[in-house]
Amino acid sequence: MKVTFQIQGGTPVEIECNAGDNLLELARRANVAIDAPCSGNGSCGKCRVQLLSGELESIPSRHITPEEYEAGWRLSCSCKVVGDCTVLVPDIASAYQSRMKTADLSSPEEVAIFQETQKQLKESGIVFENPFLSLELTMEEPTLEDTMPDNERLTRAIQEQLEVDTVEIPFCVMEKLASTLRREQFHVRVKGEKQGNTFRCMEITGAQDSVIAGCAIDIGTTTVTMVLVDLATGKILAKGSSGNGQIRYGADVINRIIQQAKPGGRKSLQDAIIKETLTPIIANLCRSAGISARSILRLSVGANTTMNHLFVGVDAEPVRMEPYIPSFFSWEGLKAGDLKLPANPLAPVIIAPNIGSYVGGDITAGTLATGLWDSDEMSLFIDLGTNGEIVFGNRDFMMSCACSAGPAFEGGDISCGMRATDGAIEACVLDKDTMELTLTIVGDAEQKPVGICGSGIIDIISELFRCGIINAKGLFVREGSRVQRDEHGMGRFVLATPEESETGREISINEVDIDNFIRAKGAIFSAIHTLLEAVDMDSSMIDRVYVAGGIGSGINMKNSVNIGMLPDVELEKFRYIGNSSLSGAYAMVMSDAAVEKCTQLATNMTYLELSTHPGYMDNFVAACFLPHTDARMFPNSRQEV
Amino acid sequence: MSFVPKTQPFSGKINAVTLGTGDKAIVIGGQNVLPFYTFDAPIENAPKVGVEITDTANEWTAPGLREFYAGCTTMADYAKKAETMEGADFLCLHFESADPNGANRSVEECVADAKSVAEAVSMPIVIMGCKNLEKDGELFSKIAEALQGKNILVMSARAEDYKTVGASVVLAYGQKVGAETADDINLAKQLNIMLKGLNIPAESVVMNVGTAAVGYGYEYVASTLDRIRDAALKQADADLQMPIVAPVSADTWGVKESTASEEDEPAWGCAEERAIHMEVSTAAANLTGGADAVIMRHPAAVATIKKFINELV
Repeated sequence: MKVTFQIQGGTPVEIECNAGDNLLELARRANVAIDAPCSGNGSCGKCRVQLLSGELESIPSRHITPEEYEAGWRLSCSCKVVGDCTVLVPDIASAYQSRMKTADLSSPEEVAIFQETQKQLKESGIVFENPFLSLELTMEEPTLEDTMPDNERLTRAIQEQLEVDTVEIPFCVMEKLASTLRREQFHVRVKGEKQGNTFRCMEITGAQDSVIAGCAIDIGTTTVTMVLVDLATGKILAKGSSGNGQIRYGADVINRIIQQAKPGGRKSLQDAIIKETLTPIIANLCRSAGISARSILRLSVGANTTMNHLFVGVDAEPVRMEPYIPSFFSWEGLKAGDLKLPANPLAPVIIAPNIGSYVGGDITAGTLATGLWDSDEMSLFIDLGTNGEIVFGNRDFMMSCACSAGPAFEGGDISCGMRATDGAIEACVLDKDTMELTLTIVGDAEQKPVGICGSGIIDIISELFRCGIINAKGLFVREGSRVQRDEHGMGRFVLATPEESETGREISINEVDIDNFIRAKGAIFSAIHTLLEAVDMDSSMIDRVYVAGGIGSGINMKNSVNIGMLPDVELEKFRYIGNSSLSGAYAMVMSDAAVEKCTQLATNMTYLELSTHPGYMDNFVAACFLPHTDARMFPNSRQEV
Repeated sequence: MSFVPKTQPFSGKINAVTLGTGDKAIVIGGQNVLPFYTFDAPIENAPKVGVEITDTANEWTAPGLREFYAGCTTMADYAKKAETMEGADFLCLHFESADPNGANRSVEECVADAKSVAEAVSMPIVIMGCKNLEKDGELFSKIAEALQGKNILVMSARAEDYKTVGASVVLAYGQKVGAETADDINLAKQLNIMLKGLNIPAESVVMNVGTAAVGYGYEYVASTLDRIRDAALKQADADLQMPIVAPVSADTWGVKESTASEEDEPAWGCAEERAIHMEVSTAAANLTGGADAVIMRHPAAVATIKKFINELV
């Protein structure tokens, strides 16, 4: 029998199958992207599809109302195939993948972040130099009298220009040497790496093709972002992002590790990141920058420990199992060709070193970018994501820890949650008396809301609390036209009615969502609190707070303090630094000194394991309250009732 | 030179909460000193002992209990008798059989019982429910209404139902309420803050911070009591300065040391004595940990604990 996936805004995909096959599994086999953050447990309700014809045997779900069931809506993870059928995969289910975005670099903010990083690191004494060169060479054409072979001719020309003793010409250059030299009439461009007295050729092309590029990549559990940079000038050539293709194997690292341990799992997860995610973005970026992929001479990756393992294709199981020892912290000598990345096959792939199983290279890269290691100021660096990571210290010491915040910051575990793409409510202001809403939505001016992203959730909960609509436990205590209750008495706040929303479904935030988010913010704050306690300090000693993460185009610090997510320090001490892992990766691809510094940071950081820390659980329960059970820690949190 | 002991002064003080009316009214709490630390400061109000009467008291089998309550049939009979018990300071009516998953006695029947008790006795009354949130909500509100003016304490406003219970019991009918949480200082404090959020005065609130029979995870109770008292006295945390009432008997009479018959456990000795020992040990542990009142069942246990308190205060 046969299942046809009709993809909204795409071409249909057919797949042969047997009776009893699980629909979500089939979709994965057919490479149809269906968002399944819970990896098919039926708990998240995100893998909705609509049955257009035929039949499916399905288990009822609390995520599908009887009317929706009648209209053919099903959770694909809870469906078994019983005969030929056609299902519609709605845009939202595959949105995470189709929303690949190439950033418009004309906006000065995009570029400014990297310039700022570079400026700051330069001030800290990091030299922005790398060994990659692009040489324009003009050689005498061989004649019957001048019988020097091509490789010697090239070697001599390079030696003349660079004053090096040795020139290495690898096979990938050698194989096209003769044809390129003759096609270009011995006026060529050689790109390669100069190390001491040796020059290693990596690419030979026509003389006009002068760009040597580097590629800095941030591999997040949820989102992948990268920039293509000019290695000679540091200029950003292109920037792009997309969802991590591994999402269909589970939303968090634990589910991914379980998946990769299954037969063939490591290969499928590696393919999902390299073939399905990185390759198309790199291709896109090269196209928009007008360069060939072989001009990419170095890559750097900032990713968490699990993502690093899955990216290079080594077993990640030990990360999950006690005593939580990963296969590697740092690894030198990896080449793009080893991973079949679309770049020069000889290009080194630099992986920002991990510190522990749950504090990875994204944090070392991020720490590098903040510059806190070169300051007397006591700085706190917080990376908000599926895992929250925290670094505290200054030039004399650094402590780090990680906590599991869950996917709430990226819209998971929230009934109307979504990632920060088009249609996401990213900010909100509420009128205390009328409960009237002012929403800010990602996308163009006419964009209607689709869901809520992390920064939007912070705003909404903070506003509901400020206006006395919810109490400190996140339960609704005021009534109004926007406060609705279901048949079990569970309250929700309606942000957009079905008519006002893009999808025709109501967008609301309910008590369970708020509870999930309070746990996420509780995990973050209690980790900060425990880390500070471990060095016998409190929040009054913090001089600067760097907040990173892709939870929206920016987060409202005042609201974050109001709900007790971030420590109550003066607002001007906060600095939102966006994707710090990418900024760090950018520095590393550009500068050898940055790579060295980052490796040094990783070895100098003390890792605090919270799961075995006796005070953490207590701090966590105390933090699962708005703003905190100990209100003295949040003198500036306000409830205006 | 004579030895002058150093006293330990505290900035915080436990709230004094009055229960009942008239001559028999009692005050619990009020001290600014650790339990029984009379060498630091006098204990303002000695800890109090309550006697538990359940609406299933007719099924009690312990010979000592049967003998004490001989001839009693109604809850009012039991209550009148309990008032004469040596060491009793207040009465606790425990409506176990209101549970919809059990006997499911109607709210009206329970309210009628409570009313008849209130008319028959003069000691302060404490009400315990059946642990079913919905039923308790209705029960508590109706009893608080019926016993208006008696200044009773209704145990069990929990995180799930503090709003309905707090609003009806305290705000509408002027009674006292017990904030119940399970062995966690933070959750206890959070519930007190939320009650405060309903404009319930702190002087109308007592706490039940979680109980367990000794040997059944009691160390959690011990550490919770300890830390709450510490926060209330040393850090003067106003959100944790409510006096603590520990319903001891409800736990101790359910564990196997109290329930196993002598035929089943011949080596353990007399069943009734075991039950008394469990009550006494648990109550003594609670009192030394910080409880300002305990609720108990057996006359022998009540007398022992009263003696214990009198010796130490």
